[in-house]
Amino acid sequence: MISIDFLLSRQNHDGGWPYSAGPSWTEPTVFAMMAAAAAGRQDAVAGGVEWLRGLQRPDGGWAPQAGVEESTWVTALVALLPPAQIGLERHQGAVSWLVRLTGRESSPVYRLRQYLLGFAPEPDQAFHGWPWFPGTAAWVGPTTFGILALRQEFRRRPTRSIAERLDLARRFLLARMCREGGWNHGSARALGYDARAYPETTGMALLALEGVRAPQIDRALDAAQRFLNECRSADGVTWLRFGLTAHGRLPAGYCPPALPFRTTRDASLALLADGEAAGRNPFLASL
Amino acid sequence: MTTQPNRRQWLAASLGTSAAALGGCSAWRPLPATTVSVVRAAYNNSLYDIVRRTLEMHQPDVRGRSVLLKPNLVEFEPDSSINTNPLLVHAVYEGFRALGARSVRIAEGPGHRRNTLDLADSAGYFHTIPRFEECFTDLNLDEVTRVRLDRTLSRLEKLYLPNTALGADLLVSVAKMKTHHWVGATLTMKNLFGLVPSGVYGWPKNVLHWAGIHECIADLYAAFPRHFAIVDGIVGMEGNGPIQGTAKPVGVVVAGPDMVAVDATCCRIMGIDPLKVHYLMLSAAGDSRLIERGIQQIGEPIPSVATSFELIPEFRGIRLENS
Repeated sequence: MISIDFLLSRQNHDGGWPYSAGPSWTEPTVFAMMAAAAAGRQDAVAGGVEWLRGLQRPDGGWAPQAGVEESTWVTALVALLPPAQIGLERHQGAVSWLVRLTGRESSPVYRLRQYLLGFAPEPDQAFHGWPWFPGTAAWVGPTTFGILALRQEFRRRPTRSIAERLDLARRFLLARMCREGGWNHGSARALGYDARAYPETTGMALLALEGVRAPQIDRALDAAQRFLNECRSADGVTWLRFGLTAHGRLPAGYCPPALPFRTTRDASLALLADGEAAGRNPFLASL
Repeated sequence: MTTQPNRRQWLAASLGTSAAALGGCSAWRPLPATTVSVVRAAYNNSLYDIVRRTLEMHQPDVRGRSVLLKPNLVEFEPDSSINTNPLLVHAVYEGFRALGARSVRIAEGPGHRRNTLDLADSAGYFHTIPRFEECFTDLNLDEVTRVRLDRTLSRLEKLYLPNTALGADLLVSVAKMKTHHWVGATLTMKNLFGLVPSGVYGWPKNVLHWAGIHECIADLYAAFPRHFAIVDGIVGMEGNGPIQGTAKPVGVVVAGPDMVAVDATCCRIMGIDPLKVHYLMLSAAGDSRLIERGIQQIGEPIPSVATSFELIPEFRGIRLENS
């Protein structure tokens, strides 16, 4: 059983959190802040906020660590934080950056180029997901967090553009599902061969598709329940808990197996999943 | 006077049948950079001796230096032939320590799965390599430095690379002998994709695909000139590699100080024409490392171990003639 004190003991002096040891990174910092906030440890949250504020880039996005001079997918994680926490203007910068970014394969320029070269368009290229890194294709992981962040934003300030973006992103996920049910990193089929799904990305995508009704969801939930019995990774189990709970399909009285937490990210997410069992899901709640 | 071992002496030494043949190996002068050794091996305790003798033969200059081993860790399936076998990685680890390296670390940055240590655990690394966590670095989450790439073949101008890899005196690519559904074959050079940090670029490292896969392989090869190459060809993978193919027993470990020469030799063993593997052509840049007579090959002759790997239809055109 992981404790919040363990997590807080890993906070760096600069206020951020490392993955395991060393410099602070945006991703573990955001998840640790969420876990600290859920535990009422506002002092630790304040340290994280200070570190994060120093990492916002002029384009409104966030870099994954201090040494990187590019805004990346982690911007969606910052956009998941309450605007009052990170600052309204900064938060809007993150949301705007997120709305502007799409996977390169769905951009009009790329699709026109493919058309002129005589390539038939892939059906799922019509749907805008999010890439890990600007200028590249969209994948399941960053699209999950893009959806979760814009869901929060839509609840606060509903706009047509965000609603459309959410719809396209959900379609992206449904189109990228593996034939067996569930998701891998986002390549369900390559050169005519079906690829296998992963536990962690299946849980993440199911979480992002909370409230969506589609035939594919049932197959994905079946896959997630299979994975839950087999998965030997704390990260995978945690995301499966989130995903299954979002659809009311986590077995009653489920108790996660004792698996090692490899990073502060894993520990933070497990603490958040424990909180979710008590009815608090920071990814879905309106903050 | 120093002498170079001939093929028979080397083969005898590698098989452990002649201790005398290795007795004076420390006095041998270094083999040419294009030397590639092919040794029969199996996943058992004899692998430690075979690897140690192989390294002694090539004599990589590591005394007092830091060595980084980069295996190919891809998926959670311990009974498959996807990952570099941990027994070979441990044998290489012990081999470099025996050569006097100041430090030996193991490092990898998987391209699809985020939970690297869970993946390593499932692949048997924790079980096989004592105190694995203490000697392992997850390159996806390492500190990075922005490196400006000179004379790139890809569309990359700069790349964030992990400090653990940049700071190593010798990078050892400990790859798996597999077919690959985008580039034909994945060996020690394609294995370098694992150096690119997913913590910056994501899972997968899609920036490399958009910049040109073959060209990026060649650029990464050029970015790490202090390298050594070892291929786990004991059981490789054929067909729809690098993940969904089928196991292909070959029973060899291939090694040498130059990745191009080692990968070209592996291609011949697999029944693939290295001159038709684009990234090898780019990296060789017209020199003789892709042709058989341009490589000083020792150990088992290629015809004695060659076994034609099944290729998916998209890559049947790279088949070596007469294989």
